Amino acid sequence: MTTKTNSVAQTLRQLGITRAEQVAPLFAEVRAEFDRAAQAVRDEASWKAFRDAWLGRKSGVLTHITDNWLKPTPPELKRAVGQALNELRAHVEASIEASRAGVEAAAERAALERECVDLSLPGVQRPIGARHLLRQTFEEIERIFLSLGYTVVEGPEIETPYYNFEALNIPEHHPVRDNMDTFYLERPAGAPPLLLRTHTSPMQVRTMEKQRPPVRIIVPGRVYRRDNPDATHSFAFHQIEGLAVDLDITFCDFKGTIEYFVRQFFGPKVKTRLRPSYFPFTEPSAEVDASCHVCGGSGCRICKFAGWIELFGAGMVNPAVYGFVNYDAKRLSGFAFGMGVERFAMLKYGIDDLQLFYQNDVRFLRQFL
Amino acid sequence: MKILYNWLKEFVDVTAPPAELRSRLSLTGTAVDAIGDSPAGPVFDVEVNTNRPDCLGHYGVAREVAALYELRLKRVEVKLKEAAEKAAGVTRVEIECPELCGRYTARVIRGARVAPSPDWLRQRLEALGQASINNVVDVTNYVMFELGHPTHAFDFDTLAERRIVVRRARPGEKIRTLDHIERTLSPEMCVIADAARSVAIGGILGGAETEITFSSQNVLLESAWFDPISIRRTAKALGLRTEASTRFERSADPEMAELASRRATALIQQLAGGEILAGVVDVYPGRRPAKKIELTRKELLRVMGADVPDKEIEGILGALGFDPVRVDSARGSSGSLMAAWECRQPPWRPDVERDVDLIEEVARQYGFDRFPSRLPPAKQPAARLPHVEAEDLLRERLRGLGYHEIIAIPQVNPDQDALFRDEGVTPARLANPLSEDASMLRSTGLVTMAATLAWNLNHSQRNLRLYEIGSAYAFRGKEPIETRILTLGATGLAREKGVYETQREYNFADLKGDLERLGQLAGGLAWESGAPAWLHPTRAGKVFLAASAHSNGPSELGCAGQLARRVAEQFKLRQEVFLAELRLDPLYRSYFETRAALRYDPLPRFPAVERDFSLLLAEGTRFAQVVEAIRALSIAEVSHIEAVDLFRGGQIPAGKYSLLVRITFQSREATLTEAQLSGFTDRIVTALEQQLGATLRSE
Repeated sequence: MTTKTNSVAQTLRQLGITRAEQVAPLFAEVRAEFDRAAQAVRDEASWKAFRDAWLGRKSGVLTHITDNWLKPTPPELKRAVGQALNELRAHVEASIEASRAGVEAAAERAALERECVDLSLPGVQRPIGARHLLRQTFEEIERIFLSLGYTVVEGPEIETPYYNFEALNIPEHHPVRDNMDTFYLERPAGAPPLLLRTHTSPMQVRTMEKQRPPVRIIVPGRVYRRDNPDATHSFAFHQIEGLAVDLDITFCDFKGTIEYFVRQFFGPKVKTRLRPSYFPFTEPSAEVDASCHVCGGSGCRICKFAGWIELFGAGMVNPAVYGFVNYDAKRLSGFAFGMGVERFAMLKYGIDDLQLFYQNDVRFLRQFL
Repeated sequence: MKILYNWLKEFVDVTAPPAELRSRLSLTGTAVDAIGDSPAGPVFDVEVNTNRPDCLGHYGVAREVAALYELRLKRVEVKLKEAAEKAAGVTRVEIECPELCGRYTARVIRGARVAPSPDWLRQRLEALGQASINNVVDVTNYVMFELGHPTHAFDFDTLAERRIVVRRARPGEKIRTLDHIERTLSPEMCVIADAARSVAIGGILGGAETEITFSSQNVLLESAWFDPISIRRTAKALGLRTEASTRFERSADPEMAELASRRATALIQQLAGGEILAGVVDVYPGRRPAKKIELTRKELLRVMGADVPDKEIEGILGALGFDPVRVDSARGSSGSLMAAWECRQPPWRPDVERDVDLIEEVARQYGFDRFPSRLPPAKQPAARLPHVEAEDLLRERLRGLGYHEIIAIPQVNPDQDALFRDEGVTPARLANPLSEDASMLRSTGLVTMAATLAWNLNHSQRNLRLYEIGSAYAFRGKEPIETRILTLGATGLAREKGVYETQREYNFADLKGDLERLGQLAGGLAWESGAPAWLHPTRAGKVFLAASAHSNGPSELGCAGQLARRVAEQFKLRQEVFLAELRLDPLYRSYFETRAALRYDPLPRFPAVERDFSLLLAEGTRFAQVVEAIRALSIAEVSHIEAVDLFRGGQIPAGKYSLLVRITFQSREATLTEAQLSGFTDRIVTALEQQLGATLRSE
């Protein structure tokens, strides 16, 4: 307590206040004192001490003024003292309340300051794994054909020459076998030969053997060719085979299906073109090209400046194949296709080395989280 | 096959510039991969489909161009100025094996001057990648590239008795071919012989002793037809592919043999002079009548789904040499649905035998782009693979647990495979691998997983969590078996150091916990000790399906643990590596059973209470024994028993360890009272003390 406020321990009489005019200056001094003290409030603790000093029930300044000045004051001064005290009380209470709000706001500001996060610091990322890009591509292709009513089937990678070749109209000395250099399995003497399928097409035959038309299947799976590995070759890679056979399937249906698929996979602006080609198990046969999804056909690195990209082989099922599965070639017709999954992934994501898919370097895998 | 633009123009008056011709040809089935430049003009690099031997010569490609542009294909007319003396008077041809050689023609040119070829000829051959040798040999190559039919010139005077015998090779018969390599033949092979010995491997390569040299004067020109399958077998057996064998193995045109002979003879005379003996010695046992094929509009519509006008059908088939003639009763009416054309199979088109082959010819020349597109209606509900729901959930979990998916090529090194292979498994070896390192189909995914971990560690990626869903291959008896498997591989940190995290190494408990998370899909896993030799003997276990108790006893899924250091060393894995492999089919089956049986469990209405028991146990006492002892009390209110802390050393005496067990009590009937709880805990403590010698540390 300062000397001035010590005066509240004395009565007015002791202070020599006898006239009404003396009351106002006295209260003005107290108020000035209060205002100075209010300035010094910094935090919650000093605010509490300040409040108790002035409003404390037992020994607050206002209590002293009430007890020492107001109560014993002579009647002629009562009115003036009472009025001045009320004014002072209103001022003190309002000020202390305002001071409280200020202190609290400051405290909150300080707390927020302390709790402030550095937004540029990394969050805690719980690790999640990535599906392999080939798996994602398989699923993307499968989804498109599922939406067209195709059922997914799978078949063995270890096949017989019959399913891999003969039943697909590729007899033993067919020159096309040169393009499908084949791995054979070591077999005990006398055991029938087995090979690693060179395409997913054997499942065309296996499916038709078991199922009457209508047939609509896709066959995702791994296939093998005896090629030395490099940026565009691998002795194992992945395909999705498709087959649709029914009473009324025509080349127009084939074209429409292929075009729909290509647009779904590469985007609505991509155009499709069918180039006549040759596969023993389809006729007419076609290579499916798409206009370059990157440059739109004007020529770029991805399409090797051709504007078109060769995607996969396809065609109407060669009636000779129906002969192997007891289908009536005169009544049934259909189409088939076989697409390389790696090729689709490479084109879509600009990957230039096939080996990346099989090295499984996590720096590659993580890119497709 | 390389095709010279200017050479094509000798047979068809095409005016389209090379680039345009290239794209039109490509869109009708003659794929031109590139256009190059040469002194002989633009060179097309044509990828000829294996069913089109006719396009292995300029004349055949010119026919395609003529059909494409509706131009006339010029005939190859050759008039020979022959001497009076007859060829048949100086030589003879016998075919002893008509099944291998369907036609053999011989012409004789006398007094030719063998010399270097003129520039125009050299240029053309060189543009096609064929070295020039001399004018006579160059002519045979020239005619082959022109008409697609190989011919061969012998030095007539070197032929014993100046005659030709076409026969099977004798067992072990030897011949030194033009490339000066001595080759041993077998009776499946067709040879051209003279009276004494073989002088050429029929349809593949001539012999060195009878070749044309600069001193040769008299020439016997062979133009023949050989059986494609025989040629293919022989070429394969000898490892000898030639321009000639490529053409004969795809079935050359037997009718072309005589024209090619005439063309070559005329050119030899033009370039080397000499006189041509009259006539051709032509032995033709393989002559076959041209096949008739009928094409109907009905069938065309059935296959193609859209029509092609009569005029186009007839124009295309006519230009390609099929001589279409309308044979139906509605002949007068164009566009009739009844229309039928009788066509003749030209001898240069062995690939066209059926109506569908004609439909393809019409469709490709008419243009695939002119057929409309349609999306056929779906007729059946689509289905995914039967197990795919389980596999998707498995992948989803693995992903959430932080494992990246790998896809490995399953051809592996047999020694590495053997490290992981269970006894009694017959591996699948390749008969013709590309290398020893890829000569076996993996019998487990662990071998490829270990290699993948090694690859990544070698590329400074040391914190790895990987999985593969793939196949393992083996034989059961003579039957190949492909087994669906899940392989996990992990090493390095389970948690990396961060601002808010401490780092922690991946350990066995991580592997076990992750597998248990996966096992929850299938009703949970059970573990047993014991592990194959490739695993760390004391940090590994066998994994079973917990749910399989109700079928045929516990079903073993696989095993899991730390890779044995001895094996890790083989892969140069210098840090602790954890591996697991599970068979998936039983897991998937159990998933579907578990899922089908899954029902809602009502939430408890009363609070659960946890009590911690700090136990001092003798080393060797297992947590499972603690659980068992508690469970044996059959206190229905015990809902969970967990191990929450474990430590050794410090104040714990040797031979003991401290285990903090947390038991959750839960009643479905009422809130548990203190009296009930202390009753339970007393019983538990007593049981543990009596059965396991456990002592309770101060609580």
